[in-house]
Amino acid sequence: MMQTKEVKLKSYKASQRTSLILSYIALAILAIIWLYPILWIFLNSIRTEFESGQLVGIVVSHYIPHAIGFDNFRALFTETLFPRWFLNTLFVSSISFIISTLLTLSVAYVMSKLKFKARKTFLNVAIILGLFPGFMSMIAIYYILKAFQLTQTLFALILVYSAGAGLGFYVAKGFFDIIPNSLLESARLDGATNSQIFTKIVLPLSKPIIIYTALLAFIGPWMDFIFARVIIGEANKKTWTVAVGLYNMIYGEQTDSNLFTTFTAGCMIVAIPIVGLFLSMQKYYVEGVTAGSVKG
Amino acid sequence: MADNQDITKKRKFRFLSVFAKIGKSFKKFIFRFKDGSLGTKLSHFIMGAGSFFHKQIIKGILFLILQLGFLALMIFSPQVNDTPFGFKAIINFFTLGTEAGSIFTPTDNSMLMLLFGVITFGVIGLFFATYFANIRSAYKADLDLREGKTPTSFKEDIRQLLDTRFHIAMLTPSIIGIITFTVLPTIFMILIAFTNYDSLHPAGQVLFDWVGFDNFIAIFNGTGEISVRFAPVLGWTLLWAFSATATCYIGGILLALLINKKGIKGKKIWRTIFILTIALPQFISLLAMRNLLGEFGPVNNMLMTIGLTDAPIKFLSTADSAWTARITIIVINIWIGIPYTMLMTSGILMNVPKDLYEAAQIDGATKRQAFRHITVPYILFVTAPYLITSFVGNITSFNVIYLLTGGGPTVPGYIAGETDLLVTWLYKLTIDEAEYNIGSVIAIMTFIITATATLLSYRRSKSYKEEDAFQ
Amino acid sequence: MKKVMLSALLFLMVLFGAVSCGGNKELLIWVGAESVDFYAAKMVEYVEDYNATNEKEFPYEVSVVGVDSSTAAATFLDDTDAGADIFTVPHDNLGKLIAGSSAIAPVQSEALLTQIANDNPQSFLDVIKGTVDGTEYTFGIPYVAQSLVLYYNTAYITEEQALTWEGIWEAAQTANKNAMTLTEAGGFNNSFLLLATDATDHSTTLELYTDGVQENCYALGDDTIAKMKWGQRFFMDENGGKAPSDSGWEVELRDEKTLSTIGGAWHYEAATSALGEDLGITVLPTFTLTADDAYGTATEGTVYKSGTFADTKMFVIKKNSNKAEYLEDILLFLSSKEVQEESFEQAANLPAYKNASTEFEAFEADTLDAQLARAQVEMFAWGISQPFGYNSKYNTYYYSKGAPDLFLEILENEDGSFSTDQAIIDQLTIIQSLWTTGLRPE
Repeated sequence: MMQTKEVKLKSYKASQRTSLILSYIALAILAIIWLYPILWIFLNSIRTEFESGQLVGIVVSHYIPHAIGFDNFRALFTETLFPRWFLNTLFVSSISFIISTLLTLSVAYVMSKLKFKARKTFLNVAIILGLFPGFMSMIAIYYILKAFQLTQTLFALILVYSAGAGLGFYVAKGFFDIIPNSLLESARLDGATNSQIFTKIVLPLSKPIIIYTALLAFIGPWMDFIFARVIIGEANKKTWTVAVGLYNMIYGEQTDSNLFTTFTAGCMIVAIPIVGLFLSMQKYYVEGVTAGSVKG
Repeated sequence: MADNQDITKKRKFRFLSVFAKIGKSFKKFIFRFKDGSLGTKLSHFIMGAGSFFHKQIIKGILFLILQLGFLALMIFSPQVNDTPFGFKAIINFFTLGTEAGSIFTPTDNSMLMLLFGVITFGVIGLFFATYFANIRSAYKADLDLREGKTPTSFKEDIRQLLDTRFHIAMLTPSIIGIITFTVLPTIFMILIAFTNYDSLHPAGQVLFDWVGFDNFIAIFNGTGEISVRFAPVLGWTLLWAFSATATCYIGGILLALLINKKGIKGKKIWRTIFILTIALPQFISLLAMRNLLGEFGPVNNMLMTIGLTDAPIKFLSTADSAWTARITIIVINIWIGIPYTMLMTSGILMNVPKDLYEAAQIDGATKRQAFRHITVPYILFVTAPYLITSFVGNITSFNVIYLLTGGGPTVPGYIAGETDLLVTWLYKLTIDEAEYNIGSVIAIMTFIITATATLLSYRRSKSYKEEDAFQ
Repeated sequence: MKKVMLSALLFLMVLFGAVSCGGNKELLIWVGAESVDFYAAKMVEYVEDYNATNEKEFPYEVSVVGVDSSTAAATFLDDTDAGADIFTVPHDNLGKLIAGSSAIAPVQSEALLTQIANDNPQSFLDVIKGTVDGTEYTFGIPYVAQSLVLYYNTAYITEEQALTWEGIWEAAQTANKNAMTLTEAGGFNNSFLLLATDATDHSTTLELYTDGVQENCYALGDDTIAKMKWGQRFFMDENGGKAPSDSGWEVELRDEKTLSTIGGAWHYEAATSALGEDLGITVLPTFTLTADDAYGTATEGTVYKSGTFADTKMFVIKKNSNKAEYLEDILLFLSSKEVQEESFEQAANLPAYKNASTEFEAFEADTLDAQLARAQVEMFAWGISQPFGYNSKYNTYYYSKGAPDLFLEILENEDGSFSTDQAIIDQLTIIQSLWTTGLRPE
């Protein structure tokens, strides 16, 4: 009797160990699959194979480079306007993320915690507006900005990125919904105004969602190649953002893919800070995603 | 139960109730005019008069400036890009331009006329909103006086904005932004669907005009691009949205369970590896994918070296069969999409209520049983709303298709390729081909689909019902 | 928080103030990105010259910006105000720009009109004009020419072999590679077959908007069908020609999957990057009909020379510019023979000037650049100018209504459905209908 139990326990442990080993193997395979393309970009950025004095910038079929160095980065900084694009993007994203965050949080707070007449209407309109594909309205936005003499400026981009931020209140609202109303009620009884409740009680409790919102708003301009191309215009290379510049290196009219390695060098420079930022704020991102999705 | 009945009743009479509401406000309007003081009466004609009457000088000045500004705009019709705003814009909105121009003289820009018409209507709407606010404010001051209170000073108004009317202060900037950059452009876009604004009518060179529902009829009629390709593209869009949502959802949950499995070490590192895909801009990672999978890219090279295939496999835009490309896209989308679900599920796994497990333990359930009967249902229950957002998101997902295949393999003779979704088709039609009217029709159709999906599921979802009750 | 909000608002307002309204004192010129430096230097020269001869300051601030020519046309069409005072477009975009009341201004000055008439070959003169309201105007000022040439791998193909497609094909069979990859499957690149003409007398029955008339399209001649049949054999052979893979033609050339490609001057950089020292440049080859290809009057043994669109890039002037008099004078200078010659020497732009190959010394140089130029000039004899400038519709009908895909379908004949003459004729009928009406036949 005793023995069988021991055997059972042993076999249970053994099966658990094999299952654990299998899990590790599965994870390792998945990790390789996930890292394969990312690593390839990196390897291409340091690939410096020369032929008759020219960098072989086009895609090659071997994964591991035959020669490495930093010539692609040198080309990026000397032969393209990349430094300029980088500063442009930094400028746009640092301003637009402040505005966007303010707008998103204030709308989310109002929708979550304040009662007023048009609340339900606003909620419905916001959902409906979010469902229209944005490309068509790009033309209209372009000319509205133009009426204010703003097109082809970075400022126009800032406006475009942040003006609609109020519509993206859902995730933050989900987070605010979790904050107990009793907390706010007691503050109200103590004579606090709504603005005080917002700034003194709700905001200090909302670090994760503030960071989540800010993070997404900050990263947006680094990734957008659609709106930026239309608003800034392809002709004005000096006001391009990195996404537009890099995109045009590969997809532009009459560009050839011998710029591929230069492109990957640019990608690395863009990706490293973003990834760093992202990873360091991972915790908040997870909380934001969870709050937003669970509440819907 | 009673609540439900109430809702159905409400729905039935919603149409009537709109009229009832208008009638009511009109009655109120008349009543206020009769009942109000001289100032209130005057402010029906000169905005701010009521405020001046009640010595609310700053408020009065603000109202007056608004009215004068509005009138100036309407009467003087200032021009931007040679196209007027104001009352002329209203006329132009209906004619869409009359001056065809010649080689040396400019043509009316129908597109700008349409846009400025929409904007002018928007301005008129806003003006009336402030106009009524002006009357209400004057009348409220009247009532305050009658009750023996003094009308609010400007300072008090400001204070109210930070407290009882805080929502106004908080929402105004957003609403202004949303109206200018989302609402007006969206209305403009919808209106384009009723015009013949296309590649043969470039704005500012050739006039275009209203054509009613012609563009919508074209979907079901004729041999043009839209009638031939609409049904296939729509079908693939729906199929794509279903499969992309399902694969990423299931895959993400499985991956989260794998990483969070008891005994796995370095959970954070594993998670970080997968999060890299989220952090990396998609135009970078997708471009890498496209080149890796190219006919002569590293993946095919590897497959041929280890002898899995003899000839390179064409995975994407040049694939021999549409299904090869479609399946490849869905698989790559898994690579993109799984980390989101994984992250979310990980977050949820940490929050599974402990008491559920304790109860199960008391009942003598094994760990496996607890997992099957508690963890899994809990995850499914909590993430249900996410499925809707994710589905809608996939219908309008642009990057994956546009950057991987550009819609290819091509369907000979048509712009929309085998893997084009409604949105990528729309993009090609408007940005590349300048077929704005057809593009707009497709945008409206896309909206109808996403709206239906959202409404169907959203109305039923728990959070929306809770919303009704409002905490 | 309030402070943050306030400072953010302040910041916003400062920025609002900082946005300037763009003065009208600027004279903006867009040229191709590759020759910005050259034209910027020329404009400095021009302004100095102006100041010296007129003894007054040139009234505008000139800035020269590099914008790809098709981008320029597209940007300009979207928003004419965003365009430069002078910009460059490939001439096939002209139709779009002069549709309706036209977005660009016709050339008015006698001096410039005379220079254009004297300096350019007839084929260019035909395509830079447009008729608006019944009157014909000259809209473009040609300054750069371009046509398609053959880039090939000299390690596999000898100079002799490169003269005929059969030679290249043979080399490819020996090495078990592909003979040729198109740079793109679009309507521009298939011209090598479609526009191929009889090598002895330059004749062809193919018509593409002849004299700018919409109905003047004809793709059903015996020689066209025979060319399709030859092309089909060439494209169906595993060592023959092919459309580009999704890896791109550069990769194929670089990895020696394919031995040659048909490309324009703008593919030169990538071709050098792909082939390095093995790069050879020459005119497009000829091909000879076999018994299998012969059809009707196109008999076995007929030799065809690959054709091309022989194009010009040209300067155009924005319509409502208030600087018209200055602009035309600038263009008189920029499109002059001297500047074109310098542009060829310094920025490797193939001149549009008609006698360039005999009058310009640099043409004789033994460099790849000069070889590229010579090949292009030689190809002009075998090419036609894109006839799409007459009307914006033609461009759309020819490129965007699907004809190029249908054409490739015949060549690739993937499921064997174009193996019969009748199937080819049927498909060509659809193509012809798309060219003339933009629609498939009923």
